[in-house]
Amino acid sequence: MAIHHTELETPPGREPLPESERPKLETLRERLQPLKELPGSSIEALYAAQELFSYVPPEAMTLIAEELKIPESQVFGVVTFYTMFSLEPQAPNVLRVCRDLSCHLAGAPKLIGALEDALGVRHGHTSPDGQFTLKVVSCLGLCDMQPALLVNLDQHGPVMPDDVPDLLDGIRNGAG
Amino acid sequence: MELVVTRNFGRPESWTLASYREAGGYEALERVLKEMTPEEVTDLIKASDLTGRGGAFFPTGLKWEFVRKDPKTPRYVVVNADESEPGTYVNRLSLELDPHMTIEGMIIAAYASNAERGYFYIRGEYGLSHERVKAAMREAYEAGYLGQGICGRDDFNLEVEFRRGAGAYIVGEETALFNSLEGKRGNPRFKPPFPTNFGVWGLPTAINNVETLAAAPAIVMNGAEWFKDLGIGDAAGTKMYCLSGNVVNPVCVELPLGVSAREVIMEHGGGVPEGRTLKGFKPGGASSAPLTPAELDAALEPKSMADLGTIMGTGGVVVFDDTTCMVDVAYRDALFFEDESCGFCIPCREGTPNLVQICERILHGQGTMDDLDLLEELGASMMASFCGLGHFAHQPVRGAVSRFRDEFEAYIHGRR
Ligand SMILES: Cc1cc2nc3c(=O)[nH]c(=O)nc-3n(C[C@H](O)[C@H](O)[C@H](O)COP(=O)(O)O)c2cc1C
Ligand code: SF4
Ligand code: FES
Repeated sequence: MAIHHTELETPPGREPLPESERPKLETLRERLQPLKELPGSSIEALYAAQELFSYVPPEAMTLIAEELKIPESQVFGVVTFYTMFSLEPQAPNVLRVCRDLSCHLAGAPKLIGALEDALGVRHGHTSPDGQFTLKVVSCLGLCDMQPALLVNLDQHGPVMPDDVPDLLDGIRNGAG
Repeated sequence: MELVVTRNFGRPESWTLASYREAGGYEALERVLKEMTPEEVTDLIKASDLTGRGGAFFPTGLKWEFVRKDPKTPRYVVVNADESEPGTYVNRLSLELDPHMTIEGMIIAAYASNAERGYFYIRGEYGLSHERVKAAMREAYEAGYLGQGICGRDDFNLEVEFRRGAGAYIVGEETALFNSLEGKRGNPRFKPPFPTNFGVWGLPTAINNVETLAAAPAIVMNGAEWFKDLGIGDAAGTKMYCLSGNVVNPVCVELPLGVSAREVIMEHGGGVPEGRTLKGFKPGGASSAPLTPAELDAALEPKSMADLGTIMGTGGVVVFDDTTCMVDVAYRDALFFEDESCGFCIPCREGTPNLVQICERILHGQGTMDDLDLLEELGASMMASFCGLGHFAHQPVRGAVSRFRDEFEAYIHGRR
């Protein structure tokens, strides 16, 4: 939601969906059917899209607007309001590292540095092997596990810089 | 100390209906439905002095009564589990370890406010909470605690929808949460009208924090006086306090509301790490201004915190030792509010990045004494913000300046 924070990614390109991904739009349409009965469920609709594509492509927004009978501008407004939605493709493993006060005091800056080194990317980006997207986020409510992070929705902490190699290996081997 | 909302946390599989029932779960609901009118429930909750644990400490019984007295239908109950205040994880523990207690409280709230629909809204990042609450709701539906004709009373129905957020602190603000439930951007709405008359979908809505609702069943079982007496002095009941930062044990403990910061930090948190000294603490999350060791004996309850120029907030106590720089602490808080400002109103959208810039200037040795005055002026202008986020965002920064001024001056005068 930050407007001009230095840590924010560059504005996402609005690339059209690759041809190979288009069949998934039909799957999305099916998954949206039950949501038609639940007024106000645009967040769930966007989660459904992100689950299929790893992000929310423009075509999915159009489809959601059509199916849920809401303006496309509202769908776009919602996508861009919530930090958990991405307008760019993401890796299968999204790491969200807390940068707020308690985790900061417990060593979050070193943890973020260790993750950036191990993955070979700055936060806000996806690792060259395409396996990890690294994000730095607000308090995760895991302050008892300071410094804490999420691997998708799995909670980890305290994670020290030395724990990073094992953590990443664990995720690569499917134990994440 | 008698525990209220955390008493089942140590039980095996405490999140299941079987375990909750073994511990006396849903007996309060049955008693309410057999023996009490909605008026009697709100009278009981009013007499218990239960107030909102989400941070505003509004009287809960009164809120439910306002909703019941509004003729518009359907009325709603909403569980606010958007918990995102830095340093706070109390609701997460309740959702993970005892979801049924909050659900039972929600059903009692619905009966008392004559509501027939509800939402259980959990922040998007709480994955384990989603699973546990969804499973608990399924169990509650199967057992006839939710749905049509609850506990055999064909005049009492409650349909609850599970919802999750997707990453936005501001959505914890009640009117922003309604917008989110309606599928819109989570900007706050103008108040009045208040949620009790104009909540989700413009209908009367009782919205409560997880911890507030979780306290209701025990009050029904043990009475208003019992609950009131659990608190210290004028403060009623208990509060979950959770520790983090430079503290030996970053744990959550349920204690009488009004306990001293000393007891929370020193006894339960084990104080600061070996060889360090305590420099200060925040009483309740990022929004609260920091206090000094001289204020350790202050009672962690809304009134005494207000007297000290800070807030009780969420009970998220963050501890600082002598290795921590208070200018950096102020800067971290400013960064949080800058990121989480929803951008809807100018004083907050422009004010929060200004707070960040001033802190950065000072940290980089380019600050002047004028910057400290500027912070005061900026704070005053941010009081014109549209919602509580903007009203609070500058308090921790200004509070740090007033309590730890020498550290700011050391940067300004080049001594750091
Ligand atoms: C910026 C902001 C964020 C808030 N976040 C939360 C939150 O995460 N959870 C919560 O219960 N209340 C939060 N509140 C308070 C709610 O607006 C509301 O007062 C509360 O949900 C009412 O429930 P209670 O009376 O049981 O505390 C927030 C308020 C503001 C101004
Ligand atoms: S005060 Fe901040 S968070 Fe609240 S409406 Fe204004 S910009 Fe949004
Ligand atoms: S401050 Fe990091 S999880 Fe709360």
